[in-house]
Amino acid sequence: MIAWTGRKTVEGVAYAADILFLSYLTFKELFSPVRRGRHEALRGIARQILFTGVDALPIVGALALMLGLIVIIQAGLALPEVGADAVLANVIVVALVRELGPLLTAFIVVWRSGTAICTELGNMKVGQEVDALEAMGISVVRFLVMPRMIGVVVALICLTVYFDLVAVIGGFGVAKVKLTTPFLAYVTEIAKALSTSDVLITVIKSVLFGFAIALICCHHGLAVGGSTTEVPQQASRAMLNTVAACLVLDIIVSVSFYV
Amino acid sequence: MRETVIDLDHVSASEGILEHVEEFSLTVRRGEAVALVGSNRSGKGLALKLCAGLWTPSSGSARVLDVDPAAASDEEVLHLRRRVGFVFAKPALISSLNVFNNVALPLRYHTTLPEAAIRDKVMACLAECGVELFHDHMPDGLTMGDGRLAALARALVMEPDILFVDEVLFGLDAEDLVCARGLLAKYRREKGLTIVVSINAPTALFALMDRLVLMRDGRLVAVRPPAEAARMDDPMVGDFFGNN
Repeated sequence: MIAWTGRKTVEGVAYAADILFLSYLTFKELFSPVRRGRHEALRGIARQILFTGVDALPIVGALALMLGLIVIIQAGLALPEVGADAVLANVIVVALVRELGPLLTAFIVVWRSGTAICTELGNMKVGQEVDALEAMGISVVRFLVMPRMIGVVVALICLTVYFDLVAVIGGFGVAKVKLTTPFLAYVTEIAKALSTSDVLITVIKSVLFGFAIALICCHHGLAVGGSTTEVPQQASRAMLNTVAACLVLDIIVSVSFYV
Repeated sequence: MRETVIDLDHVSASEGILEHVEEFSLTVRRGEAVALVGSNRSGKGLALKLCAGLWTPSSGSARVLDVDPAAASDEEVLHLRRRVGFVFAKPALISSLNVFNNVALPLRYHTTLPEAAIRDKVMACLAECGVELFHDHMPDGLTMGDGRLAALARALVMEPDILFVDEVLFGLDAEDLVCARGLLAKYRREKGLTIVVSINAPTALFALMDRLVLMRDGRLVAVRPPAEAARMDDPMVGDFFGNN
């Protein structure tokens, strides 16, 4: 048992070190003054924003609308029963904007784009495309990892803002069937309850989640050896580890800023 | 005497359980054409990577274009990569880019050529390799032979000093092979290209080679001109050339 715990701890530390090293290499490329391959990197970023952000709008919108409806209708009906209808806006801001918005959007991006990134890079490893890039003197981090990281971060920030807007406004629009609160009063209360720090922390969470998703999924994709059977194995590991990393980061940020 | 461009001195290396090379020594001079010859898992693929500086030896020393890739700085390695073209056994074209963009990739990455010049250069290279009609095709829509010819175009577009081709016969039909042979002969004659290939079966390409490096179980058996190699009194070589 002790040996198992020790072995797992060592593996965990080595894994975290690998991810941190990949982060270091990626940020080094990001801030490198070298213009080499900038055009290709920009194309990669645009492509990633399209796949991760634009293509995910329908599913994120639908989920945000349903979740917003559930939270608003439950809070809108339950709070007046205990005489706490004045805090409805605060509950919505805490539940949707601060926590569920960034976290659920991150989970959607992990399931849609994280696995896609890992699978794409894994297949590139199997097909010797990564070896070919190295043989041509093209940095794998600059060509493959950095554009994906920037693309996922930008897309995740935009998707989170979109999720929050659809959940808070759209959710109320649907819940209005059951609620008596006027729309203008609702929006005014939400605006009052929402502070600048709430918006800032939501963006910080999205940025951190974006880094975690892109780097962990790229790491697992590039960890594939020469066999196609390793691709789904690494994709599954990447998904689990990314979800865990997002939850840990969420706890760290929430505890740091709100407790 | 022409300068030495590849110098492997008692190099040993292993690539997992797949291939190993032991105490392998080889010198290649500028403009030479050399074929590493042997059966599958004879170590010729790994020896080719060692020659190209794509694999670090566990012992011995390897110098390519006067650079020791294991001890060189990132900038020196980058400079070396620009002067060396490598064609893998699989086409290894980037699957998200079409054929044109695959061939244009090293030019866009390593040079400051304007897009019009890149277009001319890429299309000329694709035409030489006989795959210009597929310039807007994605790699998964190509046959193995066309994919490898496109990969050859990508390796040649930077006008390298040395061209390495792993398993040169793999996936090529008779027509592709004639095209590849003509192209290699032309680049060698007109541009003084040094060529190092790995081959696992006798082929008409031997006529293009100055020397055959015969390998078995990761070890060098002999280095001979093709005509002499075919007459060697060795069971493995006899099997290879169909003498037995």
